[in-house]
Amino acid sequence: MPGFLKEFFNRNGTGMGLAILGLVLFWTIGLIILPQLSMLDFSFRPNLPPPEIGGPKDVYTLENYKYLIYGPEGGSQSYNAVDLRVFFRTLIAAVCVTIFNLIICYPIAYYLGQSKGSHIRIFAIMLIIPYWINEILRAFALRIIFGETGVLNTLFMGLGIFDTPFDFIRNDIALYAGLGYAYILLMIFPMYNVIESLDGNQIEAARDLGAPWWRIHWRVVIPYAKPGISSGCTMVFMLSAGALAAPQILGGPSSLWFTQLIYQQFNDNNDWPQGAAYAIVLLVTCILFVLAMMRLFKVNMGDIGK
Amino acid sequence: MNTSFLRISIWVYLAIFFAYLLGPLVIMSITAFNSSGFPRMSPWECLTFQWFSELFQDQRILNGIKNSLIIGAGTVVLSVAMGLAGALMLTQIWPKLRATYYTIIIAPILIPGVVLGISTLVFWDRINRMLGLGADSFLSNGVFLTVIGQSTFIASYCMLVLVARLQRYDIALTEAALDLGATHAQAFRKILLPFMRPAIASAAVLAFLASFENYNTTTFTFGEYPTLTIELAQKVRYGITPAISALAFIIVALTVFFALLNEAKLKRQELVAAARKKATVEELAGKIKLPSFFAGNMAAVLLVVFAVATITVVGTATAYNPAQCIANVKEQKQLEAEQRIQELRKQREERRKQREAEEAEQGDAQQSAPKPSNNSGFGNVFAPNTLGGEEDEGAADTEEQPSGSNNSGFGGVFDPNSLQNDQ
Repeated sequence: MPGFLKEFFNRNGTGMGLAILGLVLFWTIGLIILPQLSMLDFSFRPNLPPPEIGGPKDVYTLENYKYLIYGPEGGSQSYNAVDLRVFFRTLIAAVCVTIFNLIICYPIAYYLGQSKGSHIRIFAIMLIIPYWINEILRAFALRIIFGETGVLNTLFMGLGIFDTPFDFIRNDIALYAGLGYAYILLMIFPMYNVIESLDGNQIEAARDLGAPWWRIHWRVVIPYAKPGISSGCTMVFMLSAGALAAPQILGGPSSLWFTQLIYQQFNDNNDWPQGAAYAIVLLVTCILFVLAMMRLFKVNMGDIGK
Repeated sequence: MNTSFLRISIWVYLAIFFAYLLGPLVIMSITAFNSSGFPRMSPWECLTFQWFSELFQDQRILNGIKNSLIIGAGTVVLSVAMGLAGALMLTQIWPKLRATYYTIIIAPILIPGVVLGISTLVFWDRINRMLGLGADSFLSNGVFLTVIGQSTFIASYCMLVLVARLQRYDIALTEAALDLGATHAQAFRKILLPFMRPAIASAAVLAFLASFENYNTTTFTFGEYPTLTIELAQKVRYGITPAISALAFIIVALTVFFALLNEAKLKRQELVAAARKKATVEELAGKIKLPSFFAGNMAAVLLVVFAVATITVVGTATAYNPAQCIANVKEQKQLEAEQRIQELRKQREERRKQREAEEAEQGDAQQSAPKPSNNSGFGNVFAPNTLGGEEDEGAADTEEQPSGSNNSGFGGVFDPNSLQNDQ
């Protein structure tokens, strides 16, 4: 038995040690690592009916990944333009949602983090309440607002800004607003945590030395809050790229989200390996993108999740 | 001048921000009380509570709530246990492994829920096949898969909550207990667990809420046991009714209630602690005068206001009968529809006359009379039958119990009104 395991059992006793170790191993290996590997393995296999699984036809193939790039064999186009467009649109839209959230949340996080008083607690409750409401219901609420006879259209037409109802849903405005809305708290919270620990004297000092407010933020607050900003951005980006409910409810009829393609492969086409391959592509691309961004902005992995 | 401008702009910004955050919830809640068949605020038709009774008669929603509770309970137990074990492991793991281990247990938060759902489904399906079990075995059961899939990432949330408190734990306490002859299990149960109790409670609440509202993972794993969220998603996707607003209103009200309750309790504890600090020795020895529950406690006042408002609303709901108002609105709609039909008829008549005149001009050879039926270009859409439909609906709705008359199962999709309003 290796030394650290022995020490571990000495410290926790055999029974407790086994319980802790068992639960941790079940979680990390049984729930996190093996399912992901199993999905990776599955994505390289052809779509076979159950009796043929494990048979001679069950060999590794790149078919599912080729499908995403080149489309069905003998198709009219040389690339799978539909799916690829959905894929890149999803990524770009997720980036836009993240930036949008960062811009609207930064002032709030700064205000909440740096001001004192009992009203801050009320604001915190008001921030958390929407997050406790079901994701579906939040999307539903926005759908009521953005609908053709919704509050916004009634308001704008009443003010005479539009003559005819503006179709927010077909133009994807509802979708972006919904995605931004869904993850606001995940952006504010990490930033708030970091900014709260910033010593107000640093800001005072910068102000005394004659820095204008924007330079105080640029040179003092933002560098200090970088870990919070990066974990907020990472979470919002990953979650909006992987969102399913908001696109299903708020998305226009012609515009799909990449997760909806995965959903279709699983539920409508019943092609699990294809769906698994798409899921792997989404996961790997998102992780690579986040890592690239972290390198670009010089953030450490350890800062995320703090 | 400059600072006051800045201050005002901050408040304006805060107002806009919270309007964006809370406005949708408020509007959604209001639509639950409008009698319009499509959830909307304007035009306001009648105050009604019919959507609530419709909600409570919906078997699928009730069944979904039941499944959600079962799955939520399972997820709470599993993920709090795993989260606690994970947190304990994190504090004592070999330093070289620490970073890797932390990355692994934190990763499920960042992995898209869709991916987690798929991987759970694929993995347990494979295990099931390897063990040679059938399609109806325990391992392919919807409840089991959903609990497993959700716990994968909810345990990470729990771990984060628990590890924050665990870091403040003094390991010497456990050591003292062990020195005094306690077994490891006793030390855990009597020393560590009581210390961790607040964090375990908040982790459990967090886990239950996360499980209750999860959609992305559950949508792949639920099998035969659709949760409330799944049922809601299906309803919202295939036609929306104010009954969903009614459910949303209940959830919003419950959330606000518990948030205020929690806040009031915390505030009171603070006030009591402050009073103790200020009290003199004599006061402490005798009875200290504790501040009353409401003094300086905004949240408590709000809580009472909220409770009174709820009682008022429920009281009104039992006494109030919107049938007359609904009948009026229907009548008005019917009048409008009739008017429109009259206009169309007039138009058609004119067009027919015009055509007759043209045909008469064209020649006497064709003596056949013009067919008055369907050549007006409108098809049958505006035929008097449509009017009949309106009348039927109006009649049905003026009955004592209007619920379920036109919205059964299809959520108003086929309501002639929603055709013009729905997207």
